[in-house]
Amino acid sequence: MRNKLGPLLAIAVLAAAACGSSATPVPATSGPTAITPTTAPTTAPTSAVTATPASTAVEGGSMVYALNGDMALADPSLVSDGNSLFVEAQVVQGLLGLQPGTISTVIPVLAAALPTVSSDGLTYTFTLRTGIQFQDGTPFNADAVVFNYKRWQNYPAGDLQTDAYYYGAVFGGFGTNSNVASVSAPDEQTFVITLKTPQSNFELASTLAVFGIQSPTALQKGNADSTPIAQNKYAQGQLPQGQDMVGTGPFIFKEWVPTDHITLVKNPNYWDAANAAHLDQVTFKPFGDSTATLQALQSGGVDAAFSISPLDVKTAQSSGLTIIDRGASCNQLNLDMNQSVGGKATIYANKNVRLAVAEAVNKQSYVDAFYSGLGKVPTGFMPPATAGFKAETLPAYSVSQAKADLSASGVTGSALNIDLYYPSNVVRPYMPDPKGIATAIANDLTAVGFTVTLKTEDWGPSYIPDATAGKLPLYLFGWTCDWAGADNFLYTAWFGYQNGKPNPQFGWANAQANTDMTQALQATTTDAANALWGQVQDLLAQDVPTVPIVNSQPPGAYSSKVHGYVGASNGIEYLNTVWLSQ
Amino acid sequence: MARFIVRRLLVAIPVLLGLSVILFLFLRLLPGSGPAVAILGQHATPQLIAQITAVEGLDKPLYVQYFDYLGRLLHGDFGASFIDGREVAATFLVRFPATVELTIGAMIFAVGLGIPLGRLAARHPDSWIDGVVTVISLFGISIPVFVLGYTLAFIFGVELHWLPTFGQLDPRLPINPVTHFAIIDAILAGHWYVIDAVSHLILPSIALGTIPLAVFTRITRASVIDVSNEDYVRTARAKGLTERRVNSRHIMRNAWLPVTTVIGLETGALLAGAVLTETVFTWNGVGSWVVSSIENHDYIVVQSLILIFATIFLTVNLIVDVGYAFLNPRIRYG
Repeated sequence: MRNKLGPLLAIAVLAAAACGSSATPVPATSGPTAITPTTAPTTAPTSAVTATPASTAVEGGSMVYALNGDMALADPSLVSDGNSLFVEAQVVQGLLGLQPGTISTVIPVLAAALPTVSSDGLTYTFTLRTGIQFQDGTPFNADAVVFNYKRWQNYPAGDLQTDAYYYGAVFGGFGTNSNVASVSAPDEQTFVITLKTPQSNFELASTLAVFGIQSPTALQKGNADSTPIAQNKYAQGQLPQGQDMVGTGPFIFKEWVPTDHITLVKNPNYWDAANAAHLDQVTFKPFGDSTATLQALQSGGVDAAFSISPLDVKTAQSSGLTIIDRGASCNQLNLDMNQSVGGKATIYANKNVRLAVAEAVNKQSYVDAFYSGLGKVPTGFMPPATAGFKAETLPAYSVSQAKADLSASGVTGSALNIDLYYPSNVVRPYMPDPKGIATAIANDLTAVGFTVTLKTEDWGPSYIPDATAGKLPLYLFGWTCDWAGADNFLYTAWFGYQNGKPNPQFGWANAQANTDMTQALQATTTDAANALWGQVQDLLAQDVPTVPIVNSQPPGAYSSKVHGYVGASNGIEYLNTVWLSQ
Repeated sequence: MARFIVRRLLVAIPVLLGLSVILFLFLRLLPGSGPAVAILGQHATPQLIAQITAVEGLDKPLYVQYFDYLGRLLHGDFGASFIDGREVAATFLVRFPATVELTIGAMIFAVGLGIPLGRLAARHPDSWIDGVVTVISLFGISIPVFVLGYTLAFIFGVELHWLPTFGQLDPRLPINPVTHFAIIDAILAGHWYVIDAVSHLILPSIALGTIPLAVFTRITRASVIDVSNEDYVRTARAKGLTERRVNSRHIMRNAWLPVTTVIGLETGALLAGAVLTETVFTWNGVGSWVVSSIENHDYIVVQSLILIFATIFLTVNLIVDVGYAFLNPRIRYG
């Protein structure tokens, strides 16, 4: 998840990434979320978001939910930040989704089954559920799906393309630049999308909330494509209930008072009655301060909070609050080493130096000190639950080995005076205390022979642009998954070549890895793709261009009144399963 | 009086224009990589920076950017946020009422308690009562607002469950934000929801009002003691006026002048946003908005808000000056 206007680079990055897959993720058939997987076309309304045995749930009630910040826009196709996507996923549903509580198990939602894929990996055919209506009473059918896909693809340059980051990122651009060749509706129940080149991340990326299907009638009546966005009442969420953010989900968008609250109410006509919302209303309240969030939870003012500080976990537990179990991590903090800054090789171009850094850092001590047990030392170059993950033997913590490698590097004297950057004015899910973590790392590096100077920059205005432009030699940086695929971490976020050159963020030149990644994105089977992703991870383990520090489970919390909450580390959690005891 | 007010208003125009120029230049010289990078964030590329720069007019000469902005301002268009795209004026109308409510609450607390305490101390100078009042005022001035705010929230919200710790209203209540003044909206909604609105106002008002309370206490004490030693007060007592009449007609009326000045200044400052209090109590006012806008280099918002705050500050001071005439007949404006 990122800032609303930020990451358009990946559009260009993924323009070269048109790939294909006949991957067919198999939904789990058991577990606490009691999912009802659908593996064949059906017309029966079987929801993708089931969790709590209905017999124990209390119906009704109004829940107050603390978010980290405000929603950006009320149109899910135009957002890329976590707060917006969390809210909008309750209202608008896509053809595919993720099994609740998982980050990479794809299940059908508005589709009756996972799509069939043509042998060339180019054409996906979806059979849709029938009998579903949008919240404005208009029918959901293949024409509505076609309308939405064409709308996204044809966003004009400017505000809309800028905001519709994910469409551009997934399909490599808009209009004729998009990897989508055509979309069609042969009949009311069938939606066909044909790609120009195979795209192995298609199904997983399609689970993003931004691909939620909205009512064409509401979009047209609300003039949802008007610009500038600031005057677009649909996008600004200022139209009356039933005319704005109109989807098929278990909640209906009621109102948004920007910066103050967002209110959703139960959809009384939800298409899957067995999995309808228990709550009558959910009000999302943006909080800008972690202590205020905790006190609001403790006082009973809010029922649940998406995020609390890891440092507050024990306090929260002692107050009777429950920490959200988010399962497998979907993020990673790295200590990045840039091998080339300003066109000049740094000491990190020397593999022995990189090994020394990797062996010097005591990752477990950071996990213990800063994550309240809600984190793990990585076993590879992306979170273990990510599709395509391969465990690697990473350099182990060893002061003596680090000293030996540093000595073998031949780097001596003032060259060992290094700058370590950390961001200020920010807390990230994978980085709850940037300065504290950086200080601990600096101490460890000092212990093996480096002389470390800590430096910081403001996260938004300076740190991100400087890091991604390759201006920082050694720095903390991380990633929270957009979709939990290897391509999202290894290619999009980190190591994919840009304009034929190594990502300046790392200066890691490895043409073989880049070729493997490109081929993995174009593989026609999951096994073939994963084999290639595995090779890439082997190359990373050989070269150690970065040091994975932690895979964290960002803590949220809820009160003892809250039941049926199913956490997920990708940040999308469905509240239709939640109920409040009296 | 009318000429005085008109003159003050005319003087305000060059002040505001000068301020707008300084702000415009100063904000563009802040460290960082400029507004286009702030907009694009993590994945800013030269091409995208160029695109955003062209769309937003950031490639125009500075003076053109400035006059574009000023022209829009004169038409009542304060621009839109670079970051969220929302109109500054629209967001201001939502958030400023919250700040006004909080300011009023804090001033009621500070004036209502500070002036009586100051008078009490002044009537018993160097006594134990004076000592206690001095300690209270020192405490009020020295304790950081965020410490006091979190402490109040912990005691009265978390432990005692007497008062809410965040926001202006219970989000569960069906209250439509008509005016964005929570108390007024709650009255309009009926069902005694106003009690909820008032209960939300108490803790932030105390947290925000504690420093002004201390200031008012000390100013009132000093002013009352000064005036009490004036010849005309002794004369009034010698004439046999009652102590009550001496106090009300001769001491307090004159002692009010410096107190009024300070109240005016404090009110103007609080209306410009109580950053820490609003953050601690998740109060949807303008204070936290200013901070986040500065952090994001959201130039249009910062420029507009500081100009608005300057206007408010000038207006409040004008009101204070006019108020002098009513408090002290010797002051005449020509």
